[in-house]
Amino acid sequence: MEMIEKIIDELKSVYDPELNINVVDLGLIYDIKQISDRVFEINMTLTTPGCPLHDSITGGVKHCVEQMDEVDQAFVNVVWHPAWSPDKMTEEGKRQLR
Amino acid sequence: MIPQTTGNETNVKLPFSFFFFSLIALILSQAILLISGSDFANGHFRTPAIWSFAHLFILGWALMTAMGSMYQLVPVAFLTPIWSEKFGFIQFGVLAIGVSSFAGFLYWDPQNALIPGIITLTGILMFLFQMFMTLKKQAKPNILTAFVSSGLICLLLTIILGISLILSWKTGMMAGHYSEIFQSHLLLGVGGWFTLLIFGFSYKMVPMFSLSHGYSMNLSKYVLISYLAGIILTLISFFTNHPSLTKIGFLLLFIGFGLFAWHISTIISKRIKKKLDIPFMFALSAIGFGLLIHGLLFVSLFTEYSSNLIGPLLFLYFMLWIVLSILGYLYKIVPFLWWTHKYSKHVGKQNVPALKDLMNEKLALKLLSILIISCFIIYLGIILQVLMLAIFGLIILAITIISTAISILLVILK
Repeated sequence: MEMIEKIIDELKSVYDPELNINVVDLGLIYDIKQISDRVFEINMTLTTPGCPLHDSITGGVKHCVEQMDEVDQAFVNVVWHPAWSPDKMTEEGKRQLR
Repeated sequence: MIPQTTGNETNVKLPFSFFFFSLIALILSQAILLISGSDFANGHFRTPAIWSFAHLFILGWALMTAMGSMYQLVPVAFLTPIWSEKFGFIQFGVLAIGVSSFAGFLYWDPQNALIPGIITLTGILMFLFQMFMTLKKQAKPNILTAFVSSGLICLLLTIILGISLILSWKTGMMAGHYSEIFQSHLLLGVGGWFTLLIFGFSYKMVPMFSLSHGYSMNLSKYVLISYLAGIILTLISFFTNHPSLTKIGFLLLFIGFGLFAWHISTIISKRIKKKLDIPFMFALSAIGFGLLIHGLLFVSLFTEYSSNLIGPLLFLYFMLWIVLSILGYLYKIVPFLWWTHKYSKHVGKQNVPALKDLMNEKLALKLLSILIISCFIIYLGIILQVLMLAIFGLIILAITIISTAISILLVILK
């Protein structure tokens, strides 16, 4: 669990360049699973299907996690169900959009 | 959960090629306008320089920008990749050569502009083929598909009518219907192709740029039905010479545009991003101008001066609805493409700038405000028949558009 929290913390450095809010506060990260010792799976979404920043953001999430010393490989799945909605944002994310 | 690991994005070099070419064409077109200002001053609009300007502006800038936008947005809006990117690059090359040589021949040697015209036509037909093949692949067509497909059909009809105009002009064929064909060419090109395309993509871009959620799309089908019915009735009225039908057609166009404006305002009211970007706000304001002008066009039909009012109003419609919309969105799309090209691969590895950092918003505010003011100056100059006022407005407009194009192009230095 400690490692999952560490990954979430690290992912706060990956920003949606249009909104300039990190993917965690934007509520894009649905869950993170540890598959084996140094391999992780991240299920995430985007604010809209067909988001033009799809590859940039998902690639950014993958690079960010794989850069960590404790990680060898990260698999990123983009899922559309449940669909993203504003209530998935953190209070900090909502504050930045006001 | 349904996973998806990759997006449908087009290689950014393809739409960027279109945008880059179109912005250069925009600068050159305005430069020609400035150089040939004396033609305007003397009221000579059918001169080689003005033909060259008009084709560079409409085909080189507006059409190429619309094509670049489609290469960029069709995969995004329809979740369908472009049929063939390679074909897209070839299509770009053909059209770029066609438009450049066409504008050049119109300027220096208009008698021999036929072959460049055919190359241009080939480039446009290749684009229509590309889009037909792409849209055919879409798994679940939606209302946006209907808007864009209707726009593409209007583009095809606009081209056919354009060719008919040239044939009529050269051979005298259909000479009795020249005026009706010209009016239809304008209506289908401006109201059909550009307007329907902007409607369709606004439904994707407005919620995306404002982060709107929880809105209904029900109204969109009434927008399309009403606007298309307006176009069809107006076209019929041109050829049957029924002024009352023209009024009904214009009323339907006004209602369709009004429904669109209302629908977009309801989408915006559901936004989460409270502070909208300035260029995007100009694109939204273009909807207000479009609605106002549609209303004025309809009302003008009930006055005895309608034949004098419609031309200047069409100028305002083109500038304040279509050009302002396109420029507003270009300030968003071009930085996005450049950011993707330059910074996308660095996300998650190092700090990268936000899209907003790539554009000078304060400059955009000034330039687009001056653009609006200069259009009204030209309009007043024409309506009041003060030629010098119109020329003054035209010079400011041309300089402002050149500055706007340069300010958008400067993104590549970031």
